Amino acid sequence: MSTLLEVSGVSVTFDGFRAINNLSFQIGEAELRAIIGPNGAGKTTFMDIVTGKTRPDEGRVIWGEKSVNLLKMNEAKIAQAGIGRKFQRPTVFEDQSVYDNLLMAVKNARGPLPVLFYKPTFKDRGKVEELASEIGLADELSRKSGELSHGQKQWLEIGMLLAQEPRLLLVDEPAAGMTLAEREHTTDLLVEAAKTRAVVVVEHDMEFVRRLNCKVTVLHEGSVLAEGSLDHVTANQQVIDVYLGR
Amino acid sequence: MKNSFIARNPSILIFLACLAVFTLVITLMSHAYGTGGISTSFVKTLGRTLCLCLVAIAMDLVWGYCGILSLGHFAFFGLGGYMVGMWLMYARTEIIVIESLANSPIPPTAQEVQDAIGTQIFGVVGSSEFPLIWSFAHSLTLQLLLVVLIPGVLALVFGWLAFRSRVTGVYLSILTQAMTLALSLYLFQNESGLRGNNGLSGLQNLPGVTAGQDAISVWFLWASALALGLGYLLAAWVVSGKFGSVVRGIRDDEARVRFLGYSVETYKLFIFTLTAIIAAVAGALYYPQAGIINPGEIAPIASIYLAVWVAIGGRGRLYGAVIGAAVVSLVSTWFTGGMVPALNLGFYRIDWVDWWLVLLGLSFVLVTLFAPKGIGGLFDLVGARMAPNRHGADYGPGKGSLREKEGQE
Repeated sequence: MSTLLEVSGVSVTFDGFRAINNLSFQIGEAELRAIIGPNGAGKTTFMDIVTGKTRPDEGRVIWGEKSVNLLKMNEAKIAQAGIGRKFQRPTVFEDQSVYDNLLMAVKNARGPLPVLFYKPTFKDRGKVEELASEIGLADELSRKSGELSHGQKQWLEIGMLLAQEPRLLLVDEPAAGMTLAEREHTTDLLVEAAKTRAVVVVEHDMEFVRRLNCKVTVLHEGSVLAEGSLDHVTANQQVIDVYLGR
Repeated sequence: MKNSFIARNPSILIFLACLAVFTLVITLMSHAYGTGGISTSFVKTLGRTLCLCLVAIAMDLVWGYCGILSLGHFAFFGLGGYMVGMWLMYARTEIIVIESLANSPIPPTAQEVQDAIGTQIFGVVGSSEFPLIWSFAHSLTLQLLLVVLIPGVLALVFGWLAFRSRVTGVYLSILTQAMTLALSLYLFQNESGLRGNNGLSGLQNLPGVTAGQDAISVWFLWASALALGLGYLLAAWVVSGKFGSVVRGIRDDEARVRFLGYSVETYKLFIFTLTAIIAAVAGALYYPQAGIINPGEIAPIASIYLAVWVAIGGRGRLYGAVIGAAVVSLVSTWFTGGMVPALNLGFYRIDWVDWWLVLLGLSFVLVTLFAPKGIGGLFDLVGARMAPNRHGADYGPGKGSLREKEGQE
């Protein structure tokens, strides 16, 4: 399995607080990975670094078979290169319809001029409808996304991510605030997505991680504490001490 | 394609129809082409108001749709006016100078004519040399190009510096205020080459045109109405479709747009520059109708008024901006013109010329607090009565009740 994203020796300090400490992490093509860890372990900061929001003090972030250095690129360029990100709270454009939200995300030229003269093609419209039925919002296309329920917004955001056709999906606590049925749907969406691309899920909820049934990376104080199957890491004494034992 | 764009935005047709009817009615009541029911000076006021509506559309694009509270767009408006004013002043002075020198025994050389024009224009600031920035003033075509180029390039450079550094929110507003203040202070200096605090005057006279002001005022009304109509169409087209989605996305959640792969800075720069150019065109049509432009016109307060108009009219909808600008500026003309009878409270006499600003400020606060949609929001009341948004709910609890979609048709 070839490596899609390689983070090596990355450190970042905020006002003297070391949020990420010599972190190294790899993920291959079409792999599903869960990242767990206590509050302040650096999970969100890790995502910020990969997506270009935060610049690390040292280390390397290498992407794809051409080994591009992501640290030299801005957020928009990184997104165009194929990294999609879902935030912790659902962030969709609430003033706009579900259709507009999805259409904005569909992979196309992103410059102002192509967008200004853009006409929705038959293919793009088909794609939006296909995605909408996949995330269970086929009947809500004309509604403003602000009217959707919390769970539906989360799915819409996942749908927008899929529309971007990213090669790597970073998902921050997708199950937060969801009902049990909604969680199951979310799990299905993520497992399905991971068949064709790499998916990294940051999650607090052990039950949710167990249902994902994938390799788990445990972060603690900004570096990797343990890595392996969920049963393997939960048997690790260090992990029990810092995280599970509390 | 065109049809579907208009069909999707019926408000455009309504707006253009209203504008056409308005222009026609004013024309038929003017001194030059109609009954003479409306004075020439009021025709000019209405023509100027149309220009203010156009700059309000620009403000609505940049603030209401893209979320950039620029408090400097009147600088671009003023620059547009200066650019066209330079040609008007030069060409008119040239005609006067040639006429007066025609009586001299020896025909004047080109240099003598040039010097005489310089003395005429710059005598008031104690100079007779043409500054470098007047190099193109002899050519209408070049000066009209500069109307677009100078404000466009200024907006491009300023916007590039500001957006690249990710300056947003109130800091950006302060920065734009600083820009317009700096420009205004610079123009106040005689050395700026634009006649300092005297500004450019006599702009109401079109060189080489023998028609009187009553006809010219109507021509400018037509030109302003045309510019407003085209500007409205352009703005409506820009904010429709995917570009509009992205721009409104930037207003609501900039970071999310960035992670979708759109370069937020480029989009902001595009909108900022486009609106600067629209503002400049509006200014270029406004100042010939005002007759005079001086640096006081681009004082920071002017750009703040612009934001007030758009807020009172209702930001985020183009007709709201137009209504806000028209209503507030016309009411302002009415109050400050001394035509409103003073209110005698017995212990105090409210003189509206002094109290108008207080009234405007109060209504701004009230609109912001109690009617954030502004005057334009009133149209929602009419719209809602025709097609209530029931969030997908049926019209009643019974099985046979009207469904939402049925209610709309």
